[in-house]
Amino acid sequence: MSEILEWHGYFATFDQQALMIQSPFILEESITFGADSDYTTMTIAGLHLLFSRGIDVTKIKSISLVNAAAVKSATGVTVLSEDDPEDETCEWNLLVGEEATLVFTNDLERDLSFHGRADLESLDPTFAHDMAAAWAAELQTSNVSQGAYVSEAAYMEGANARLSFMAQSHDDKIVWPPRQMDADGQRLPEPNQPLMASATVESWTKLSAAGAPSEFALRAPVLGGIQTVFVRFEQGPCGVFLIADDEEYQPEIGDQVTFVVRRIYAQEGLIRYGMKAVPQRI
Amino acid sequence: MVDVAVIGAGQTKYGNHPSGLKGMWAEAAERAFASVDRDFEPRCVDEAFIGSVAFGGAQLGNTAALLTEHSGMDGIPVRRVENACASSGFALRDAWMAIKSGQADVVVAGGIEKMNDLSPERRRFWLGVSGDTEWERLAGLTFPGTYALMARRHFHEHGSNHDDLVNISVKNHMHGFENEMAHIRKEVSFEKAQSGFMVADPLTLYDCCPTSDGASAVILAADHVVRQFTDDPVWLRSSGAGSDFLALHDRPSITQVKATQQAAKSAYKAAGITAGDVDLAEVHDCFTIAELMATEDLGFTGRGEGGVFAREQRGVLNQGEVCINPSGGLKSKGHPLGATGTGQAVEVFKQLRGSVEAPRQVRDAEIGITHNVGGSGATCAVHVFGRDRA
Repeated sequence: MSEILEWHGYFATFDQQALMIQSPFILEESITFGADSDYTTMTIAGLHLLFSRGIDVTKIKSISLVNAAAVKSATGVTVLSEDDPEDETCEWNLLVGEEATLVFTNDLERDLSFHGRADLESLDPTFAHDMAAAWAAELQTSNVSQGAYVSEAAYMEGANARLSFMAQSHDDKIVWPPRQMDADGQRLPEPNQPLMASATVESWTKLSAAGAPSEFALRAPVLGGIQTVFVRFEQGPCGVFLIADDEEYQPEIGDQVTFVVRRIYAQEGLIRYGMKAVPQRI
Repeated sequence: MVDVAVIGAGQTKYGNHPSGLKGMWAEAAERAFASVDRDFEPRCVDEAFIGSVAFGGAQLGNTAALLTEHSGMDGIPVRRVENACASSGFALRDAWMAIKSGQADVVVAGGIEKMNDLSPERRRFWLGVSGDTEWERLAGLTFPGTYALMARRHFHEHGSNHDDLVNISVKNHMHGFENEMAHIRKEVSFEKAQSGFMVADPLTLYDCCPTSDGASAVILAADHVVRQFTDDPVWLRSSGAGSDFLALHDRPSITQVKATQQAAKSAYKAAGITAGDVDLAEVHDCFTIAELMATEDLGFTGRGEGGVFAREQRGVLNQGEVCINPSGGLKSKGHPLGATGTGQAVEVFKQLRGSVEAPRQVRDAEIGITHNVGGSGATCAVHVFGRDRA
C-alpha cells in the first residue's frame, strides 16, 4: 500500500521498497521543476523522508544529474555514480525520470510504475521560460562577480552549516553559523550537532529587483523581487533566509517556519544550494 | 597630551561629478587648503589618511599615494583607510591619533568615492559588498534589505511606524535644500515621501540615500602649531569608535547599533560632555531608520523613542533641542561612501565657524558631533567638535 504525502514542497509516494519524489508543478502537460528546484534538491528531500521513517541510507547510486557534494553536506549520504566500481553495500538506487520526478528504490526488480498526484499546479509559461533562461545564463562560466561574492572555496567551507544546519556547542550555548574563536582565545569546536529546523519570524522584507545582489539580478525581475525573513531558531541562534519556491507567502512577525534545501544561485558553473524558509502549516 | 584642532576643511559637491578620482580629490583638497585662514601649502602636511571603499573601477590599490601625489603632498606617509561607509570617519580618527601621539603636527584626513562611472551591469556587483557576504548576501540582502529588517523589527518592538521615517526624510531634504554641496537639493512633501516607490518593504525610495560621487578633506593641526594657520580653530575634542558583529543575525538586537553606543560613550566621556550638550549632529542616515535608531544610540532620546523624537520634530534646524543633519545628511547631501565621514566633519567645522549658508546655520552652535557608520553597524566612529578647546 503506497502512502502519498506533501514533503518539503514536493509530492512523495512512499512504500517500504521505493519512494517517488515528484515536483508539484506542471507545464504544458509535463511535470516540471519549480523556480529553485532540481534533481539535487529533490534527492535531499527524499533522503530526509527516508530518514524520518527510520530507514538508514549511507550510500546511493545515481546518474550524474545530482550534485553529490551538496547531497553529502545536506544528508551525509554518499552518492555513487554509475561509473563507480560495484559496491555491494550500496543498497539504494536513485532513478531520475525524464520529467521532474525521481525514484529511490532498494529493489530494482520490482515494478516502479507509480501513480503520482494529479492535482499539480500549472506554471505560467512565460514565468517558467524566463526563469529557466535566467538559470541558464547564471550557470554560464562567464557569469563571474566583479565585486564581493561567495567563492566555491568559501561556499564549501560553510556547506555543512548551510545545508544541514550543523552548529557548535560552546559554553552551554548553541552557536550557528559557526564561529572561530571566543574572547578567551579558545577556538570553538567543529560543528557537531544540527539545529532543529524550526524557527520564528522576527522580521522580513521584500527587496525590489533593482536592489537585489548581483547573484539574483537575473532572476529577481522574473520573481518580482526577493523576499527574505529574519528568524530566531528555537535553540537561540538567528539567521536570514530566502523564501522557498518564491510562492506568494506573505510573512508576518511571529510566523513559524521550517526549512527545505533549494537552489540559491549559480556562478562560475556551480550551483550553490542552501536552506530556504517555508511556512510551517499546522 | 597635545590637543587637536581643525584648521581647514573642504569638499566637492556631491552627486554625479564630472571628474574622476584625481580631479575630485584635488578639488576637495584645494578647497580645504584655501579654507585655512593664513597661508597654507600642501607641503605643510606631515601625513595623510584617505578613506575609500574603492567602489567599482578606478584605482583600487595604493589609492592614497595616487591622490596625495596629485594634490601636492607627494612623499609623505599616506594610507588608504577602509571601513566600508565609515572609511573616512576612521581616517579622521587615525589622523587625530597621529597628532595625539606626537608623530605629526599637521595631518590631512579625507575620503573619496566615485560611484557613478559604472554601467548598471557593473554597478550591481558592488551592491552590498560591505555587508555579510557569506550569509546575508546569499539571503538576497543588500543594505536596503538589512535596514528594512531593522525597521520592521523596530516598528514591532517600539511602536514606531513608517510615518516617523517620512518625517526624517522630509526634514533632511528641507535642510539639504539650502546646501550648495548637496546631491539632491529639493524639498519633499510628507505626502510624496509617504508614497514613494517601494525599495525594500517597508523602506521606500524616500527612505534611501542616493548613490553619489564626492570627495572631502579636513586639515588637523597640533595645538602648538595652530596659531601659524588660524586664530579661529575648531577643536576636535575627542574621537570614539566601536564595532559589532558584521551580520545582523549574530547581534543580540537588531533595533540598536552597539558600535554607535560604544563610539558615542567613549567620545562623550573623553570630551567631557553628555548628549544634552550637543547642538548639532551629522548623523549617518544612509536610510531613515538608521537616523531614527541613531538618535537613540547617541543618547538624544531614550531607547525605543526614536519614532517619537522624529514625530515631534525634535531634530529640526533651530526648532528642536539638537539639530540632526543640518547638511541634509546622507539622504539629501548624498553618500559617496568613503567621503561621507570627513564630509560630515566639513559640515560641523563650517557650522561651528558660522560659515554655512545663512538659512541653515544652527544658531549659537558650540558643540557638534559626527556619527559615521560602516555597513549596517559593524563599525562606527563618533567625533566631538567644539568651539572651545575643552
